[in-house]
Amino acid sequence: MRRGLAILLVLALAGCGGRMDVGSVMSAAQTMITQGPGAVTGAFADMDEPQEIELGRAVTANVGSRYKLLRDPALTGYVAQVGNVVAARSERPDLRYYFAVLDAPEVNAFAAPGGYVFITRGSLMLMRDEAMLAGVLGHEVAHVALRHGVEAIKAQKRKDLAVLGLQQGLRFTSAAPFTQAISLAADTVAEQIVLKGFSRAEEEEADRAGFQYARAAGYDPAGLRDFLAALVQRGAGDTRTATFFSTHPGTEDRMKEQEKLLAAAAGRGQRNPDRFAKAVASR
Amino acid sequence: MRARTAASVAVVTLVAGLAGAQAPPRWVERTKADVRGGKGSFHEIVDTVVKGEQVQIVRVEDKWLFVRTPRAKQGYVFEAALSNQPVTGGGSDFLKLAPGDASTSATAASAGAKGIYAEQYARQKGFDYGVVRWVEDNQPPGNVMEAFVKEGGLQ
Repeated sequence: MRRGLAILLVLALAGCGGRMDVGSVMSAAQTMITQGPGAVTGAFADMDEPQEIELGRAVTANVGSRYKLLRDPALTGYVAQVGNVVAARSERPDLRYYFAVLDAPEVNAFAAPGGYVFITRGSLMLMRDEAMLAGVLGHEVAHVALRHGVEAIKAQKRKDLAVLGLQQGLRFTSAAPFTQAISLAADTVAEQIVLKGFSRAEEEEADRAGFQYARAAGYDPAGLRDFLAALVQRGAGDTRTATFFSTHPGTEDRMKEQEKLLAAAAGRGQRNPDRFAKAVASR
Repeated sequence: MRARTAASVAVVTLVAGLAGAQAPPRWVERTKADVRGGKGSFHEIVDTVVKGEQVQIVRVEDKWLFVRTPRAKQGYVFEAALSNQPVTGGGSDFLKLAPGDASTSATAASAGAKGIYAEQYARQKGFDYGVVRWVEDNQPPGNVMEAFVKEGGLQ
């Protein structure tokens, strides 16, 4: 009876999401059967940092299957240096952040839980200086620092049992269910950050936070505004910017919000165009 | 004369009290927290403290605390990782379940479960886990970051 109910419940939940295969559903059901109803409450009420980092690694592997990683140590190191400067001013300066450049002409940037941040070569080509890079990376770091990727998992809770388990707490007694849960969570987050983007509210929150990180780090906080302006100038009709506009809605409204923040902020910071040109423009 | 003697005794008592005073303790309230050689996550890890462990505060610098760990190591921990109230210890089921020494490694807090679960995921999906390793291996160390900040006129 208990077995039957568990399988029915799992199948019903999986049906809402539509992305679990039969093997995953049966395995998840088995977890409920062997560990009982109490297995769905408790231990992982909040994803802790080691779990988040592990999820970030899995998402990075997923991203690596969608994009070619640009294996250029000098360029990656430069982007990581700018990223780390702004990340040190975030709400989570003790989290280790990892920055990577994707070898794609399209303009895009995204962040995975656990501190993994990606920017495309096309984005770098649109920039003129380090302040613009700091503005974009600050925005992406904010998604990590404010745990937006983790929130993306929570948003799926009614659709996917294994993700529900990760959020609400399957009390795992062997590593296998966690492997399964992290697999489904990684698929969810990768799809979210690469194809769908975060919610409008999360994007706006990341804009505000990123602005403050860049400013506190000593950069001209107009960098993100200038990057958005460059995007608008290129236009949504350009194939290189189409993805960005679809995953980051309301670009002109975001620019206006940045203008308000700039009007209220005293002084300007560094732009470092020469250092940027030396590191990026020649590649 | 009597007043001078009393004052001297009071000063000696005060100095002795200050000398004997213990630095205030804090307790780790995260699963694990890295103790680093500088104020930033890009600095090297000198020790890792686990939930419930007590550390002694040596000094406070902004939101970073320079602490002494139970293993007599000293370094910086971000304030959010510590509580001023005792915290009950408790290992992470997630880390305990990881094969090998992931639950006890000095770098496990940063390393998550050392990629064990993520690598299994990549293998199952047919993804190249080398991408993750390359990204993690090509990040700037603390001394490079300090020079970068200084040269760029940053903070």
